[in-house]
Amino acid sequence: MEAAGQMKIIVGIKQEIRASAVAAVLVLSNSALAAVQPESGLGLPRDASQNGHLVDWLMNITSVFNIILFTIMCVWMGWACLKHNRNHPAEYDPGSSKHSVTIALAVSAFIFAIVDGNLFVNSINDLDREYWNFEKVAANPKTVRLEINAHQWAWDARYAGPDGKFNTEDDIVTWNEIKVPVGAPIYVELTSTDVIHSFYLPNFRAKMDAIPGQVNRFWFQAKETGDYDIGCAQHCGTHHYKMKALLSVVSPEEYKTWAAEASALAKRAFDPEDTAAHWGWDWKEL
Amino acid sequence: MHAEAHPAGVHPEPTSFLRRYIFSTDHKVIAKQFLWAGLVFLAVGGSLAMMIRWQWAFPGRPVPLFGMFLSRSGGVITPATYQSIFTMHGLIMIFFAITPVMIGCFGNFTIPLMIGAQDMAFPKLNMLSFWTFVISLILITASFFVQLGTAAAGWTTYAPLSTQIGTPGAGQTLVVAAIFVTGAATIMGAINYVTTVIRLRSPGMTYMRMPLTVWGLWLTAILNVLFVPVLGAAALLLFLDRVFGTQFFIAGAAGVKGGGDPILFQHLFWIFGHPEVYILILPAWGFISDIIPFFARKPAYWYRGSVFAMVAVTVLSAVVYGHHMFLTGMNPLLGKGFMTLTLIISIPAEILFLNWLHTLWKGSNRFPSPMLFALGTVFVFGLGGLTGLYLGTIATDLYLHDTMWVVGHFHLTMAAAAFLGSFAAIYFWFPKMFGRRMNEGLAKLHFWTSAVFITLVFCGQLVAGYAGQQRRLYDPYQYTFLSHLLPLNRWTSYFAFALGISQFVFVYNFLSSLVAGEKAEQNPWQVGTLEWTLCPSPPPHYNYATPPVVIRGPHEFANPDVIKALGRDWIGQTEPMPKVAAAAIKPAAGGAKD
Repeated sequence: MEAAGQMKIIVGIKQEIRASAVAAVLVLSNSALAAVQPESGLGLPRDASQNGHLVDWLMNITSVFNIILFTIMCVWMGWACLKHNRNHPAEYDPGSSKHSVTIALAVSAFIFAIVDGNLFVNSINDLDREYWNFEKVAANPKTVRLEINAHQWAWDARYAGPDGKFNTEDDIVTWNEIKVPVGAPIYVELTSTDVIHSFYLPNFRAKMDAIPGQVNRFWFQAKETGDYDIGCAQHCGTHHYKMKALLSVVSPEEYKTWAAEASALAKRAFDPEDTAAHWGWDWKEL
Repeated sequence: MHAEAHPAGVHPEPTSFLRRYIFSTDHKVIAKQFLWAGLVFLAVGGSLAMMIRWQWAFPGRPVPLFGMFLSRSGGVITPATYQSIFTMHGLIMIFFAITPVMIGCFGNFTIPLMIGAQDMAFPKLNMLSFWTFVISLILITASFFVQLGTAAAGWTTYAPLSTQIGTPGAGQTLVVAAIFVTGAATIMGAINYVTTVIRLRSPGMTYMRMPLTVWGLWLTAILNVLFVPVLGAAALLLFLDRVFGTQFFIAGAAGVKGGGDPILFQHLFWIFGHPEVYILILPAWGFISDIIPFFARKPAYWYRGSVFAMVAVTVLSAVVYGHHMFLTGMNPLLGKGFMTLTLIISIPAEILFLNWLHTLWKGSNRFPSPMLFALGTVFVFGLGGLTGLYLGTIATDLYLHDTMWVVGHFHLTMAAAAFLGSFAAIYFWFPKMFGRRMNEGLAKLHFWTSAVFITLVFCGQLVAGYAGQQRRLYDPYQYTFLSHLLPLNRWTSYFAFALGISQFVFVYNFLSSLVAGEKAEQNPWQVGTLEWTLCPSPPPHYNYATPPVVIRGPHEFANPDVIKALGRDWIGQTEPMPKVAAAAIKPAAGGAKD
């Protein structure tokens, strides 16, 4: 298997992309009704994904370990500073005896085995079973495939349309708004036309760099409907902070209706001359 | 008389002002030059940080005080200015503040003194290193005054954003050139340090009798010699892309089809960049590994363990850089390999922590300002190290990558620990450097304000990152999911302002002590390393008239025989054991067995 998520293609995109991309985009859904709900409190943003709880669990259990370790360190330091002060005679112990060294190594090994071991095992499992398991996603008939093209400072998304092929006349192309069905894996390939961006879904614990000259992949799956922020996580120039888009998770029926209408509209508006609008690429199935 | 004081082959002390204070080859003068340059640029970098914090607390409101530098926008930080501010904050702090203070100043000052050498191995190269560094300071300063302003592509300078495509103008080019030049200065210094430690240790100063400060600085120098050239290569290729239209790092971008590879830049940058974070912390580890036993009045616990741990970190630091690139579409197997290596760094780090804690335990701890700063360094580095676990692990990094969590984590390690560690060194060696004492009350005030506020600032950033806030956002509240974080960020900013203001305590203390501080005696801290036991404060031109003969390690405290014979709890590295109890001598303190 070639490295998942990494294959080089030449993304042939002309300079005029920025000018004509907006013209080619079909803004199909009424975003006036869309509203992202603000978060509250200082914890993690709410988890709207089917597998984000794995990340949350791993972070929380590590935090528990860390709080224990840091408390031990502080109590140890504080106790030594308060009790073993200038009135306490110093013990002449260079700590290099076999006994001392064995204890130091054993304690280090124990902490490493528990804390780092837990992180290692669970991270590998999560990646193999979920986040980097593209075989599972590719095999699922419900999977929705998306191509995303990042540029300063917006996200263009492309759906294959009924023919299942990208860069054809029935493709749905959206701008800064992505509509997906709930409960289906969303398999994304993404690239950039100018500088490096990073597609970030905080409520889905997902993030992937969009890099010029290279197509990266990732997938996510929503567990509930609603509207969510899409952000850019990589500094990409002056208006990096405004490179924001909307993820709209809808029911499968609503998605189906929308996709059919949008594709029909796209077919009618298709302009073969407008080559800059045909930025899609042949889907690189794993 | 004069000539007799100097061993054969060394030049006499220069007498002209220019040769003595400006173009000096004396490592102690060069150390002070680096210290001044570093402290000035620390103030510049700190001011830029205050402006970033202002923007996050009060987005779009005119900046007090610093607003005068933003007259064209009525004192308001614009998005374009904002990206220059955070870019230059990072670059200045790393290359022009921490590096000169820790490595330029204390590398130069402590290495020859602590190993019993008369100067660096290559004194003229040392001088050239400083004046090359000055050229980079001129370049970086000039970049602020050109059209379109200074660099804006982030301190990481990722291509293609850092090429003409993303950041046109002479400012970014000047900054890339400045990085290249400062890299050359660093390499010159590093070659000098590496050679000096290998060749100029005085008789009996075996590797296992070197103070841990020297170990930290020496390992730092080795990393600099190996990896700064890679940064130089990246900067040079980027310079060619910007000025001569090559396409090393440009791919598929507007107007350019194919060509180079933006990821190549990240590889080059992080091959240097990850060792660099250890370059910035190893000297601090060294300082505090000496200062803690000095003031616990107890031998450094498992000296060899600390040395091995630092060597292990040095080696591992070269093979973990990929964890900065987990989201670039890296081969999964490679990613897992980098994750494994990254987690392994926990082991030497734990050994260092255990050694520091064990040294304190059953000590006779005293708390003058250097000790307080050393303990503060352990505290913030503990927080910084533990928060790094989430980033070295791919699954959790998917969420936390490029968020404020990363910013909080690396500030706790590279900024807070390096900052407190540097101040531990400044307060500790100030009497030796300048022959005067600093005001201890003000030093303690400086410690408590700095340690408390710096912890609060960077923990505030961790909380913002945990809630998902990305780095480098001009106005985070554009995002609905971050809109509730304004009060948190505003509080963090208040702590940052308090941290900034409390530095004036140090400025006042430092300057007033220089002119009017109490005269320092030779060994005010009562410790046994060479610079305190054999050199007056400040040391003479060539440090030692004859090479000292070292007979034991640097942390021989609380030895019962010494206490019985000498009536004090320490003994110098060259001091013979008193005859009275010679029969009862036990091997002790870090390598006294050698």
